[in-house]
Formats: sequence, C-alpha cells, structure tokens
Amino acid sequence: MSLAAVTRLEWRRLLVRPLAWVLAALTVAWLAWNFTLLLGGFLAGQVQRAAQPDGPGFVDLVGVPLLGQLAQLAFLVVPLLAMSTLAGERRNGTLPLLFAAGVPASRIVLGKYLALLGWLLLWLALALAMPLALAHATHFDWGKLAAATLGLALMLAALAAVGVACSAFASHPALAAAATLMIALALWSVNLGAQLAGVNGGAINWLAMSTHLQPLLRGLVSSADLAWFALLIALALALATRRLDAERERG
Amino acid sequence: MTSPIPASPRVVLRLDRIGRRRAGRVAVQELSLELHAGQVLGLLGVNGAGKSTTLSMIAGALRPDRGDIRLNGEDFLEHPALARTQIGWLPERAPVWAELSVVEHLDAHGRLRGLNGAVLRQAREQVIERLELQPLARRLAGVLSQGQRQRLGLACALLHRPALLVLDEPANALDPVQAAKLRTLIREQAAAGNAVILSTHLLAEVTAVCDRVAILHEGTLRHDGPLSTGDHAALERTFFEIAMNGVVRAA
Repeated sequence: MSLAAVTRLEWRRLLVRPLAWVLAALTVAWLAWNFTLLLGGFLAGQVQRAAQPDGPGFVDLVGVPLLGQLAQLAFLVVPLLAMSTLAGERRNGTLPLLFAAGVPASRIVLGKYLALLGWLLLWLALALAMPLALAHATHFDWGKLAAATLGLALMLAALAAVGVACSAFASHPALAAAATLMIALALWSVNLGAQLAGVNGGAINWLAMSTHLQPLLRGLVSSADLAWFALLIALALALATRRLDAERERG
Repeated sequence: MTSPIPASPRVVLRLDRIGRRRAGRVAVQELSLELHAGQVLGLLGVNGAGKSTTLSMIAGALRPDRGDIRLNGEDFLEHPALARTQIGWLPERAPVWAELSVVEHLDAHGRLRGLNGAVLRQAREQVIERLELQPLARRLAGVLSQGQRQRLGLACALLHRPALLVLDEPANALDPVQAAKLRTLIREQAAAGNAVILSTHLLAEVTAVCDRVAILHEGTLRHDGPLSTGDHAALERTFFEIAMNGVVRAA
C-alpha cells in the first residue's frame, strides 16, 4: 500500500514538473529527426542490399541505431530526472514527511525508482513507436528488435537505479545529477583502455556496461548480461535504502 | 449510593528516558513524560532546547538513540508503522511538495496514511471545509503564503483523524484570526479525546490552549506540570528562570 502511495506521489510530481516534459519533447524531436535520416539512408541503399540475401535489414539499419541514439540521450536525461527523487525531498524538507508516515526506507526508494522507471519506459515506447510504425511495410526482425529493446530497458533501469542512489547520497539535486553522469560514463567507458590495448576479456571488461549492452543490441540475449544489469540495479537500490535508513537513524 | 470513580484517561504516549545526539552534540537526553487522551501539552524552550528533535522522534521521523516510546501501549520503535494511522504531525515551517495542488497534496498524504477511495475523498472534504481551504483547493502548494502552508500542513496532519497530534510551531505566520481558529481547533481535538502536543515560542498560546506545560532546556526536561487558566504570569516566571538559570528557584 505505502509502496503504491510513494510511486503514485512521485509519478504525479514527475508529470507536473516542466523539466520532464521539456526533456521528453526535445529528445523525442531529436530522435524523430534521426529516424528520418536513418530511414532516408535505408531507402537510398535498398537497391544495393537487394543483391545480398543475408544483408542487414530495417531493424539493423534503422531500429537498432535509433535505440542507440536513445542510449546516448539517456546519459543526459536520466541524471536530470533522477536528481530530485530524494535529494530534492531532502532539500525541501519533505523527506521527514515520508518517514513520519511510517513508510520503510526500502519502499520510499523502490516507489521513487518505479515512478522514474515508468517515465523512462514510456520514453522508450515513444522512440520504439517510430520503427514500429513501419513494421507492416518492411521485413521486420522482431526478435532482434525485442532483444535490443530489452537491452535498452535494462540500461535505463540500471541508470535510474544509479540516479536514485546518487540522489539518496547527495545533499543537492545538482550534485546528484553530476554524480550520476560521472558514474554512468565511468560504467560505460571503464574498459576503454583495455579495448584499445586489444584486451577483450577480464574483470575490467566485465565491469563495463557496454560489454553487456552491445550483445543485446545485436540480438543476443545472454543470462550473464541480464544478471549484470540485475546486480547493478539491486546494488544501487540497496545502497540508496541503506543511506535513507541511516538518515532516519542519525538525522 | 456512591458516585462512580472516574476512569483515569488512557495514556496515549509514553516517553521513557529517550535521548538523541545530533550533529555531534546532545540534542535530547533522558526525557520521560506521559500524555493522556484529551490532554493538550505545551512544549516550551528557547531555540536549540531540543523541542523539534523531540517532536520529530515522537512523530516517527527520527529514531531516538536510546529510550522507549510507547504509543497507545505499543512499542513505537518496534512498530514505526503505527505512526501511519495514529500520529498527525505538522513539522516546523510546514514543508510541502511544491508541484502539487492543495487537493493533490491532501490526497498524497491520505494515501501515505492508508486512506483510499471514498474514505479519502470524504476525509479530504472535511479538512478542507474545517480549515477553510476551499478557495485554495486548486492552487499549487508552492505558491501558497507561509500562513496558508501552515493551514495545509495542519489539514494533512488532521486528515486521518490521528489519536495524537504533534504540532511544531503551528501558529507561525498565521494572522490573529487564524491563530484564534487554531486554538479552537486544538481544543476541539482534545474534547474529541485526542492528545495534542504543541511546541511554541508564544507563552500566550500555551496559556490559552494547553492544560499542561513541559519546559525543555539544553535537551532535558526542567519542568512538567499542570497549567490553569490565568497562569500566564507564573508560567512566564518559570520559563524565564529556566531559560536564564537552567532551573526553577524555590519561591
């Protein structure tokens, strides 16, 4: 019950905040523009590709690259949306209202996380609607698009969890946004040096988010990659819960 | 025929030697007191005496480092969810979710306190009417004046009909008319069998509405006694002696 109340409250706050709408409008417009460019490129090369029976299709050349663009935008959008979830409550003095309502820290964190995730999944659905609009007009690789969508959904879920955790630790929303961005970039590029050196395995590559997202974008679903995202989400939410518990204990 | 012996009023709140450190110093120590149903306790003290920390602990927003709190006979620290239904808290400066309207605010508070559907709507309409919030109902909480926010905070505290009402500086920023209405409301709550704790800097507020007064100084309880109408001069003397010397001198 209290989880639903916190989720609903956070969802409502997200919906009435201009920032969420401005971000949605700007990013969807950007994605729509890119979709038309990708579609133009796809149509221009259609004759050449007709000669290659196993060549890349609509999903490879339009759907997945569009989701890749969304992944890049997520590094900006998620920190901005997540920053106020807990740091904003703390700054406004409304966090004690949730504590005083007897809501456990885990439900506060989870409720806020679910609301943010709901918004991000809607955002993903809007982006997906563009390639899906042409599903009837082209040969559509549903499996590959589903895997890529799953990858993006997991990436958004992981970044949202990191954002909520940073917001739990930060005293100011702007600090939370900066910390989320830094951690997200670090997670993405932690293996860059190893890759440049030609090292493709090892712990450093396992740590990187790109290692686990790229196979999904190529249509390859592996339980190891899913587990990596699940672990990151669980770790971030556990840390956020611990921080809130400590805040209630220590003041 | 003998007249029946009146039953002693039910103990709503019992604090047993609670203590709390904040920012490296003792904020409250060894505080014990009892509050009965229908009683209005005025909590007085100079700035930094520990009033808000005490009220935050009673409201469930902050955990004591030591001691016990029992609410209607149940261990409040073991079952913090008791706060959800049994305590209504108006924190100092009445923090609000600025993005929500007054009605949305009340709905969010109601849901956090376990109210839903028709019960929530009915409770909301009652407090809106009782606190004369009808003209503000659709206004965003963020644009309300401080006095209006106090009234909204009070409405949120009353919404779920708590057995214990914890009010931290409720008359802050209220005009004289609203302050008089607040006194009436507090007396109504006491008459309905609810216990009220009122923290304030205004001695006149205490003498006008409380039947008992507790004075905190440097985190410890220095005075706890009944208060009769017209005791203003005696209360003032006691308060200033404690504030200046830390103790009440014998007459």
